[in-house]
Parts: sequence; C-alpha cells; structure tokens
Amino acid sequence: MNLRLLASTPALETIIATAMLTTTSGAAPSNLFHRLSANPDKVAEVIGRLEVQHGSILEHNRLNWFLEASEGEVLRILLTNRFFTFTRLGSNRWLISANLRTVLESQAMGGDFARLLLESISGVAPSIYNFVRRIR
Amino acid sequence: MKVELLSHTPSDDLLASLPASEIAESEFLSHLSFTFAIEGVSRACSHQLVRHRVASFSQQSQRYIQIKKLQDHIVTPPAVAEKAGDEFKSFIEEASGVYSRLVIEGVPKEDARFVLPNAIETSLLMTMDGRSLMYFLGLRLCNRAQWEIREMAVEILQQVREVEPVFYREAGPYCVQLGKCPEGRFSCGKMAKMKTKYCGD
Repeated sequence: MNLRLLASTPALETIIATAMLTTTSGAAPSNLFHRLSANPDKVAEVIGRLEVQHGSILEHNRLNWFLEASEGEVLRILLTNRFFTFTRLGSNRWLISANLRTVLESQAMGGDFARLLLESISGVAPSIYNFVRRIR
Repeated sequence: MKVELLSHTPSDDLLASLPASEIAESEFLSHLSFTFAIEGVSRACSHQLVRHRVASFSQQSQRYIQIKKLQDHIVTPPAVAEKAGDEFKSFIEEASGVYSRLVIEGVPKEDARFVLPNAIETSLLMTMDGRSLMYFLGLRLCNRAQWEIREMAVEILQQVREVEPVFYREAGPYCVQLGKCPEGRFSCGKMAKMKTKYCGD
C-alpha cells in the first residue's frame, strides 16, 4: 500500500481554531479567522484545547490523497469508515478524500493505512499531528 | 447578512498533482471543499441550512453566548416590516425583556434561550464538498426558496465562481442545471429568465 497527500484545505488549523471559537464566542467567524491568521501562536494554543471540543470542528477541511491499494484493502477501508470518498483512477490506483475527523477516527482501525494517513498530515496540521502522537 | 469564503481546496492544485486520468466532473467536485463564514442570518435561515446534511457546521451556541440586547440582533423579514412592523417590534422587546429577566433570576442560558424567537441573528462556519454545494445551489437559488437562504445562495455562488469559474460556470437553480424545472405544478415558469440571470445569454 502506498499513500501520498496531494492537496488539502489551506490554513487548515486556523479554520479549526476558528470553528472552535465560533461556537462559544459572540465574535463574527470571519473576524476570528482573520485575527487567528495573523497569530499562529494563538492557533496552536486554541488547538491545544482540542480534547474538550466536539469532533465536528475537525470537519471544516478536506484532504486529498493518491492511494495505491488492492480492491480488498479499499473494501476494508470503506467498511471501517464510510466517510472516505473514493474515485478509481486505474487498476489499484485511487483518488481518495476525507476530512481530518475521519483521519483521526480511522486511527482506531490500526494497520498500514491508519499509520500512513496520520504521517501524511504532519505538514498540513502539525499541532493536531503532535496531539495525536502524544495521546497514542 | 455577510458571507465570506474563508478557504477552499483549489482544483488546480489537485489536478496538477493527479496522475493523468479521466474523472467525471461531478465526481471530481466531491473531492473539493469550501468553507464559508456566514454571519447575521436568522435562526430560521440556519435551520434550513443545517438540513443539508452532507456538510459540516459550527454555529454560535446559545448555551454559551448570552444575548445582551435582542433588539440589536434581529433579522426582520421585509414583508413583516411592511405589514406588521410595530407588532413585530413590540414582540421582540417583550421577548428580550423576558430573556433578560430569566438570566438575571439565575435560569441557565441554555434554558432562558427557549423564549428567543427564530428571528434572532446567528453566525456559523459551514463546510461543504463541491458536489453537495452544487446540490445546495440547485435548491436554494430557486425562486421558490425562502428569500433569506436564497440571498445567501446568491452570495455563495458569486464567491465560488470567483475561485472556481470553470466548475461552477453552469451552476444555478435546478432549472438551469437540468434544463427543466423539477418543481412541477409549482414552477415559477421563468426558466429562460433564470438561465439568463445565472449563465448569461
């Protein structure tokens, strides 16, 4: 199995921090987003409070990967988590996408796919990647 | 009402990094996503919005956010302003007073909010994949959609077309997307006008 991250929602962690603060603050989400965009330390601090938040705030993004896997491996993924979107590109070649919540929930299935998924987010969601590594 | 596209997956990035393959446009759209800040809409509007289930929402919570002066956070429908403005205003003032008294008497905000009207403003973050967004636009740009969510859909379409002009060039209400009106006997009968409005001549 081979997995490569192709693209993702820009400013992924800033959006998640914005979602977290939107639910409990009276401030306009667009203002929160622009303020947070100028303050990466604040983003990391807000993301640090992730464990007490609802999982839905992790859904405001999309990650796209190129996956090389057999049909059996793909079936196992689909049966484990129905929130992945698959497009067949060719024999054993797939375009898949999902949001960060799905990535984190998929860690429970273990195995190569879960490990590759987690490693793939280290660059685009470093605080969340470190958080997940810590709790594991 | 204010709508702002905060972030999206640019299709160019994805297409450039994909191995050359044929992917149907509607299928490709489901791999894209768009995140909007939607502000100053009524709870009546957000109730309709969250019925689009293939989407994610993070909305200001009335359990945590106390409404200071309800009168300043209200959406007034034009028809109400025209026909019963005074009656509406006095009801809002009454609701505002009751809400404030409940909070002062120690009723938790999550219970005091039961007296708040649908007209109260709310703000939220919404994320939709590109395919669901096309479906949303098909339904909510229709002349039969409620005026507030239709206004929102118009804003959303405008902003999505700025960043993804090719994929959303033929987006519009379902009559425009399908070439026929799915509303049957409720059809507004203005299909040609809608086509011109959303796709030009």
